[in-house]
This record gives sequence, C-alpha cells and structure tokens, in this order.
Amino acid sequence: MDTSTRAFVFAEPAPAGSDRRWGALRRAARARLAPFGAAVLLAAIVVALAAPLLSPYDPLAQDLGNVLARPGRVHWLGTDNVGRDVLSRVIWGTRVSLVAGFVSVAIAAAAGGVLGMLAGYAGGRADGVVMRLMDAVLSLPPLVLALALGAVLGAGLTGVLLALGVVYTPAFARLMRGQVLSVKTRDYVEAARALGASGWWIARRHVLPNAATPIVVQASLSVAFAILAEASLSFLGLGIQPPAASWGSMINAGRGYLQQAPWIVFGPGAALFVTVVGLNFVGDAIRDGLDPRLRG
Amino acid sequence: MAEVVLRRLLATVPVLLLVTAGVFALLHLTPGDPVDAMMAESADASTKESLRRELGLDRPIAVQYAAWMGRLLRGDLGRSIRNGEPVLENVSRRIRPSLQLALLAMAIALTIAFPVAIASAVRHNTGVDRLGTTFALFGICMPNFLLALLLIFVFGVTLRWLPISGYLDPLEEGWSGLRSLILPAVTLGLALAAVITRTLRSSLLEVLAEDYVRTARAKGLSEWVVIRGHVLKNALIPVVTVLGLQLGTLIGGAVITEYVFALPGVGRLVVDAVFARDYPLVQGVILLIALGFIVSNLLVDLLYGYIDPRIRLR
Repeated sequence: MDTSTRAFVFAEPAPAGSDRRWGALRRAARARLAPFGAAVLLAAIVVALAAPLLSPYDPLAQDLGNVLARPGRVHWLGTDNVGRDVLSRVIWGTRVSLVAGFVSVAIAAAAGGVLGMLAGYAGGRADGVVMRLMDAVLSLPPLVLALALGAVLGAGLTGVLLALGVVYTPAFARLMRGQVLSVKTRDYVEAARALGASGWWIARRHVLPNAATPIVVQASLSVAFAILAEASLSFLGLGIQPPAASWGSMINAGRGYLQQAPWIVFGPGAALFVTVVGLNFVGDAIRDGLDPRLRG
Repeated sequence: MAEVVLRRLLATVPVLLLVTAGVFALLHLTPGDPVDAMMAESADASTKESLRRELGLDRPIAVQYAAWMGRLLRGDLGRSIRNGEPVLENVSRRIRPSLQLALLAMAIALTIAFPVAIASAVRHNTGVDRLGTTFALFGICMPNFLLALLLIFVFGVTLRWLPISGYLDPLEEGWSGLRSLILPAVTLGLALAAVITRTLRSSLLEVLAEDYVRTARAKGLSEWVVIRGHVLKNALIPVVTVLGLQLGTLIGGAVITEYVFALPGVGRLVVDAVFARDYPLVQGVILLIALGFIVSNLLVDLLYGYIDPRIRLR
C-alpha cells in the first residue's frame, strides 16, 4: 500500500485532535468532586514518591520505651505496639497501595487487552476458549480467587500484584473483545483489509485507538478497587509481610489494641478511605470526560 | 422456560470444566514441591511420601486430573490434610453460620437501601438526595474490615452493647445468638446496601421520567401509589442484576467479616485452609464456592423472567 492510499484510508477514523482532548478534560474537570479527587491523587503520588523526605521517623525503627503513645506533637498519629511512628508507616504504606493499585490494573489491562484482541480478531474456536476462560475466572468471587492465587504464589507484593492482575483481567478482555468486534465490521477496516493491510497493522492503527477510551475508563475505575483489594489481602496476611508497612497489614496489627490505641487502626484506615474516595471521584470524572454515554 | 433453563445449564458446563481445571492446577502452581509446602520441614520422608501417594502426585498429571475428576463426579471432594475429614463434612459444619450471616446481611441491606433510594429519587437534587448519595459513596468506598473495626470500637468496646466476636446459633440460642450476628451482618449489609441504593436510585429516576408515570400522577393517584404500583417493579431489573453481581462481593466480604468477628463460617474456613496450606481443602472449598456462585447467577438470570415477562418471551 503506497503512502498516499494509506493516508486516505486511515485519515477517516483518526480520532483525537487537541480540541477533542481539551473537551474531554473540560468535561472531566466540571465533575463536581473531581478537584477533590485530583488533589487526593496528587497528594498520594507526592507522598509516595517523597516518602523518605516526608517521613519524620524510620518506619521500621522500634522504640520499646514509647509503645502505644497517644497522638501528639512528637508523634502526630501516635505510635504502635512496638513504638513505631504510625504517621511514618502510613506515609510509606502509600507507596505499597499506589503500586498495588496501578501495577495490578496495568497487568490486567495488558493481559485483558491482548486476550480480548485475540478473541475478537480470531473469532471461532479461539474466541470461544478465551471467553469461556474469562467466564471461569468470573465465576469465582474476586477476593476468594485472589486469596487462592495468593496462597499458591506466596505472600508478598509480587503474589498480590499477579493475583489481582488475574482477577481484573476478564473485565478488560470483554471490553477489548467488544471493541474489536464493533470496529472489525466498519467500512474503513474493510477498506484497509482490501488494500492489503495486515491484521497487526489494522489492530494497531484502528482497533487500539478506538478501544483506548473504554479501557482507560475501566482502568481508572478499577484502581480504587485494586487498592481496596490489596489492603484486604494484606489485612488477611497475604500482602506485604511485616515489618514492612502497608495500610492493610497495619490495620490488622492494630486490631488487637483497639481499646488502648485505636489510632493504630484509624490512621491507616483514614488514609485508605480518603484515597479510595478520591480515586473514585477521579475515575468518575475521567468516565464523564471521556465517554458521557457511560455516565451512571 | 424449560428450554431457557436447559440452555443456560448447558452453557455453564464448559465454564465448570475450566473452573475444575483451574482449581486442580492450584496445587501444581505452588512453587516447589506441594507436599513440602503443606507439611512442616520436620515431617519425616515416609510421611511425605505417603501424602504424595495419597494425593496421586507420583503419577502423570493427566492421570491425576482424570482421577480427581472421577472422584469429583462421585461427590468426593478430597480430605483435609489437617483433620483428615472429607471436605464436604468440613464445609457442611461451617455452612450454617455463613448462610445466617448472608441472609441477615441481605435483609439489613434491603431494609436500608429501599427507603433511602426511594427517598433520594423522589426528593431528587435536595438535601435528602445528597444524604442518600453520600451514604452510598461511603458504603462503596469503606473497606469491610475497617467498617468492622469501627463498629467493634463503637458498639463493642466503647458502648459495650454487642459482643465483638464469637458465634452462637440464633436457632438454638435465640436472642443472644442473634446479638452475636448483628455487628457482622451490619458490616456486610452496609456495603451491599450502598450498591443497591446507588443502582435503585438511578433506576427509579429513569422510570419516574416515563410517560406512564406522568399519566398516573395526572389521574390524581397519590405519590406512594404511583411509586408502589407503577415505578418500583419496573425499576427492579437493574437491582436484580446488581444483586447477582454482588453475590461475589457478599462471599468475599463474608471471608473478611468472618475473619474479623471469628465466626466459624465457610469464609473463615477458606482463610484458615490457605494459611495452613491445606491445599486439598482449599481446592474443595473453592470449587464449592464457584459452584454456589454459578448456580446463584443462574437463579438470578431466571428471576429476570419472573420480574419482566418481556425477557421470558425473548
């Protein structure tokens, strides 16, 4: 295919001009609670990146002479049962939560994207096998599946990331397959195929740009839930292992001291809750901005 | 209708086969030797060897799978390594608290969600609506375990109104049994209530804008009669869908809730089996949960036909 034909055939679906991008951004920003969500996300990212600078104490340093100290000027969020500074641990825990949220969703988006593309493109038996496989994953409650996978992959962040990646893959695979099926029948794809464009070229040039919007929307809405899921697994003891700090494991460690030192639970609890609320607002705003039809 | 049921049942067969393959693979995904993972390092070689033989790990993997499937079809889900009891016995002993918890949580969720969603939709864009949507957001973003600890802190530790852990069977112990389930059921029910409230509210708003609702109002019917007679049943379909989708969340939530409140249910059994590396028990329980989940989703699908006869005819 010579360059001029290519330009002709592929000019039609070319999606994003800067106008459209700004329009999406404007719509996203108009969402009432988006600024709060964006501020929370930004703060979480800054805290995660600058943890060594912001953290007032070493998150692992024990001070057995100062255990279960109330929140005050020296320790803003108090200390835990072995005298570690709760605020410093909350700050370092932000890293784990954000990494878990973003990386597991990225794994799911990549795996689901590839599987969905394969199913939609190949059709027939491959489609049947991939989609039944996705149905099988969906036929297990997410947390139970993550627990089972976490059990065999071993405790630790890597196991959790992979387990959550698997859990969230079917949503992305279904989305991508739907997009492929719809784009595949468009005239410009027919034209490209007639002009000899390869399947891979069509996928890269037409399917991916068209599928990007719903995938981004799904990803932005999934991050908050992935953070919650990581915290749940860490709470159960399958995530980051002590003494490293993660919000879920801190809350689990603090539950035995609820009567004497509730701050051990409520410090990381508040961080987790505010982050998830903020990310939900950001997800909603991105959805409203990119695809008003999906508005709930 | 029978044809629809049959078709749906047939469609679940390949999914079930893949689930069994996945659950079977769980044991083999374990890094290293599964028997080493399951048994303490101190266990002697002959004990490990006999467990390896019992699990059939000394045979080719295809033979192992065929033998395992054969046992499954005869209703043999294997035995727990810890107590040597069949998986089915382990589960049947634990199912009662889990079912009681799920039913109570569902009752609490529906009791809260319906009035809140109706009030929010009828008083759209007012303070009442904002309160309702804030409640829904709170319930969706609040992790189960955090809510559980918050409730324990307020109602157990501070006010001392309710027990903070343990289980008494309400069918045998009456009120004290029910008291032991209140905090876990509220924990589980609030999250579910939030999701139902959100869905029902937006579904109600859609139906309230329909022409036939305007006609009903124009006839002079009271708002309550309009809601009850014309709006509610039509707004129920998305709620049933969400209830079906939320079954997984309910089971997952039950795992955490049973863990926090030390309830001896199936969820707690999963966590205990995972930590004891009792893989045959993990496999058996997960398979049963998947089966329960698939059957419940099938029932939800069939419920659509009951609520909306148009779906039955399609």
